[in-house]
Amino acid sequence: MAAKAGRSFFGRWGVHLAVLAIVIVWTLPTMGILVSSLRDRDQIIVSGWWTALAGSEQTEAGRLAGPDAQIERDGRFVIEGLLFEEGDPRRISAFGTRATAPTATEAGVEADLGDGVTLTVEADSRYVMTSPVAFEGRGQRVYFSALSPPRFTTENYETVLLSEGIGRSFVNSLTVTIPATIIPILIAAFAAYALAWMRFPGRAILIAVIIGLLVVPLQMSLIPLLKLYNGVGAFFGVPAKTYLGIWLAHTGFGLPFAIFLLRSYIAGLPREIMESARIDGASDFDIFVRIVLPLSFPVLASFAIFQFLWVWNDLLVAMVFLGTGRDQLVLTGKLNALLGSRGGDWEILTTSAFVTIIVPLIVFFSLQRYFVRGLLAGSVKGG
Amino acid sequence: MATQIISAIIVIIVGVGGCVAYFWGANRLLELVFPARGTSGKTAIDNLRRQGFIRPWLFVGPALLILGVYLIYPVVETLRLSFLDRGGQNFVGFDNYLWAIGDREFRISILNNLLWLAVVPAVCTFLGLVIAVLTDRIWWGTIAKSLVFMPLAISFVGASVIWKFIYEYRAADQTQIGLLNAFVTWLGFEPQVWISIPFWNNLFLMVILVWIQTGFAMVILSAALRGIPDETIEAAVIDGANGFQIFWKIMIPQIWGTIAVVWTTITILVLKVFDIVLTMTNGQWNTQVLANLMFDWMFRGGGDFGRGATIAIVIMMAVIPIMIWNIRQANREADGG
Amino acid sequence: MKHIGLASAALLALALATPASAQLKFAPGEDDRFNWEDYEYLKQMDLNGQSLSVFGPWRGEDEALARSVLAYFSEATGVDLTYSSSENYEQQIVIDTQAGSPPNIAVLPQPGLIQDLASKGLLTPLGEDAATYVRENYGAGQSWVDLGTYAGQDGQEQFYGFPYKADLKSLVWYVPENFEEAGYEVPTTWEELMALQEQIVADGGTPWCIGLGSGGATGWPATDWVEDIMLRTQPPEVYDQWTSNEIPFTDERVVGAMKIFADIATKDQNVSGGKAAVAATDFRDSPKGLFDIPPKCYMHRQASFISSFFPEGTELGTDADFFYLPEKADADLGKPVLGGGTLFTITKDSEAARAFITFLQTPLAHELWMAQSGFLTPLKTANPEAYANEALKKQGEILVNADTFRFDGSDLMPGKIGAGAFWTGMIDLVGGKPAEQVASEIQNAWDAIK
Repeated sequence: MAAKAGRSFFGRWGVHLAVLAIVIVWTLPTMGILVSSLRDRDQIIVSGWWTALAGSEQTEAGRLAGPDAQIERDGRFVIEGLLFEEGDPRRISAFGTRATAPTATEAGVEADLGDGVTLTVEADSRYVMTSPVAFEGRGQRVYFSALSPPRFTTENYETVLLSEGIGRSFVNSLTVTIPATIIPILIAAFAAYALAWMRFPGRAILIAVIIGLLVVPLQMSLIPLLKLYNGVGAFFGVPAKTYLGIWLAHTGFGLPFAIFLLRSYIAGLPREIMESARIDGASDFDIFVRIVLPLSFPVLASFAIFQFLWVWNDLLVAMVFLGTGRDQLVLTGKLNALLGSRGGDWEILTTSAFVTIIVPLIVFFSLQRYFVRGLLAGSVKGG
Repeated sequence: MATQIISAIIVIIVGVGGCVAYFWGANRLLELVFPARGTSGKTAIDNLRRQGFIRPWLFVGPALLILGVYLIYPVVETLRLSFLDRGGQNFVGFDNYLWAIGDREFRISILNNLLWLAVVPAVCTFLGLVIAVLTDRIWWGTIAKSLVFMPLAISFVGASVIWKFIYEYRAADQTQIGLLNAFVTWLGFEPQVWISIPFWNNLFLMVILVWIQTGFAMVILSAALRGIPDETIEAAVIDGANGFQIFWKIMIPQIWGTIAVVWTTITILVLKVFDIVLTMTNGQWNTQVLANLMFDWMFRGGGDFGRGATIAIVIMMAVIPIMIWNIRQANREADGG
Repeated sequence: MKHIGLASAALLALALATPASAQLKFAPGEDDRFNWEDYEYLKQMDLNGQSLSVFGPWRGEDEALARSVLAYFSEATGVDLTYSSSENYEQQIVIDTQAGSPPNIAVLPQPGLIQDLASKGLLTPLGEDAATYVRENYGAGQSWVDLGTYAGQDGQEQFYGFPYKADLKSLVWYVPENFEEAGYEVPTTWEELMALQEQIVADGGTPWCIGLGSGGATGWPATDWVEDIMLRTQPPEVYDQWTSNEIPFTDERVVGAMKIFADIATKDQNVSGGKAAVAATDFRDSPKGLFDIPPKCYMHRQASFISSFFPEGTELGTDADFFYLPEKADADLGKPVLGGGTLFTITKDSEAARAFITFLQTPLAHELWMAQSGFLTPLKTANPEAYANEALKKQGEILVNADTFRFDGSDLMPGKIGAGAFWTGMIDLVGGKPAEQVASEIQNAWDAIK
């Protein structure tokens, strides 16, 4: 019924337009990399991605065949050939032989290069250069302005998706992410319920500590923890870098937010429901499992999404707590290895951004339905 | 690989099962040791009380254990390091703190952080709420939400590449490949080097975080909005309330707790934000923030653990007001109901 | 929880992959550009059953190249070699060494970081033999030994970093055809270079493409400029005093070098896009102006690696070439060379790690990478014919024939300066701040960390 109220005020189209505007603003940047990921490396930094669909007039350079290709005809030395490969869709509009005047002569018109040398370049890049004396040195450089149709390539995606071991990394990432998402939810949900609805000494302090822990900078804790892991590993004679280790690490880093988020939601659940259940003789455990958990589904789903995203996109924690062998290298690590040492591989960066985004979006869409209106409908909302 | 998939699935089931088994088993055990049913009178009441005394700790126990190892222990370690020299060997007292107060970069970071704290949480929460309310009303709301949510799924490195293509500068006589400068030149103005304009460059960096985090605010607030019973709103409609009144008088108070959570979370995230600053400017042109400064001192060229730890402690202390506010909130909830 | 541990161990056991048998790029014994006897020598070391972990800065294509060389070592000795890298390798090596789980070999391009690790006692000295080898067989050998020598935890100076793989900074890239067309000659002295700069401006062109942008590292290309100018205006001893801060940044000789750079970079007519573009242009994009038509600039000063950022299909030697950034005619400083490179350190000692350092002392180890791309070596005993092309060979010659070699100064300074205040200072400098003020700010930052 909220919908009806909204329509009466905003008007049917107002809402649509407003949302459309927001969506466009939010999507434009992402569109930018989607388009960029389909372009080739040199193009990305030459023209704006929004012009990718339009054909572009570009000034380029090419080299004619060298003196080896010359033939003698009617007393003149002639070099003939094509600047483009056969079937190239580009069309030349003008050409020149000096970089400072790259479009001095129109295509199809004969240019005088001095000393009796002439050059003609046709729109389809067929060229004829003639000279009264034999050519020497290297091939003549020509500059030309060509209209090229939009150029797209799937090469970047091939590079990323066909790179060796990417499938394995994908599985590794899932192996890390799924438990690292579910374990904190379970642990946090129980703790959150206790902190929201059970009375025990020290509760307020615990809440304060947990909120304080939200802010611990992750980088700070890496060295102490890795030391601990190495110590434990050496003590029990097991490797220090294991999947169990990284699950617990991600659980630890995600717990404060999970407890904080879940507690405030669970605390807002209607008191009456629990009271009536308690009167019916249900214990806290029963109340939690039968009432609180189902009612908290939207917020559990929200947290699951964020934890999943965080773990999925994480590189630092994975590099520190997991090995870099084939059996432990996660997807972000794998993609990271595809980037050059000096960065600047925009095409790989943009492409991998899209490759990694797919799984989180699937998770988002599949959990989306748990946000269904009316999960709490009919219940009375408490403070 | 197939074996890994299978073992991964087994491990997932065992791991998650282990957690479930703990909570269920511990609860069962508690009921067996202190049975409330089947006994009578005083014993039953006593046992119930004992259960009530122990059960909260069974519930929060695993969380406390993990928090202790993964966060509290490092915090204590950090506090200790903040009183030691760069190699973490010699005690230097409050030298690191005194250094921080006198350091120009540190002061710039504090000011910038305050600016971030004032702008980003407010803008994210506001936009998130507006989008959540609006998208609830239209049939393609889910699609719209997914699109707003999408930036959240992109890693920080990816996001910084995206925004590089927005802020990119080329001289006036060249083709602009940055969207913003293309737009500005299309309007007839001079292109700008956005990330080096004093003061404003901070806002341009904040835009990136807003772009990423609004989706977060939206998802959480949207979940809360769906928790508002239809009857409440129907009643308001019947009373003749208009859209704005419903929004401000009915919806906002109902989800106030969630708004506070979103606000707090983003505030804390802002305190920790460093990826954006690191990849976009690395604190150049007076855009330094505390978290990046800490990172800088910790790891650049071998690092100075003492100063890095000191800055981390300062960041943690910045949360104290938020903690106090939240404790009050929590206590009020406990008393109020 | 115990179940998880057991299952996880089982998982690990199941998942342990056998390393794919390495494919050697050049079949041993076939190509006579390589010293294959070294390979036979390596085969005598039996490291079967041992493992060696190497952590380095190379990713992407560089990683493939590094692996192709490492493969020979593992193939010959039977060692189980793993290579890894990370975007945050600098951060990660600090974490790993501090926490006590370092790789066997850490390859680091920053002497400052190595100095720090050495002083904390986290590195193993390589021994006098390795130092002697470098001194005798490398061009400007003593410079390289000094570079790898640091004070350990006990304060004693020892040789910790074995230099392998260098790159050359003192290069100016240009397009020969653009020069020919405009009638410009390659300058052989600094004075000629400055005259050429004026000439290009007078002809209505733009002499330089300069881009300082590099994300979080924005500003570093300008530090190379200043270092190159220092080496061309002052003796190497002054350079050393400067990088160790025995003379302060505010010394007039340093300020002078900064002024020379500012003279070039802060005049709108000198740089493509005007001075505003200098700090805003990404260093990877900046050389592309050379290849624009008409050219946006005629010269680009950058290290040897930059050629991998040239447009696809650019042929070195034909479409693009380089000359040595010339020294002042009257300064009598010989041919100073500024460069960078990677140093191999042992972070966890083992027989295999020692053997690996021995491997780096064979000409073969150098030739294998020389024959591919992106690799230069000052090793005189390596066969220069092994270089994959003329451009690399020419760069290699500059390195082998150097009178003095100096490492990138910003990498020698403490991280907070060389990868912080110096960068920031350079951005301020091209933004128009006076050199004196920039220098005193950098010096203040340096004083603060003493």
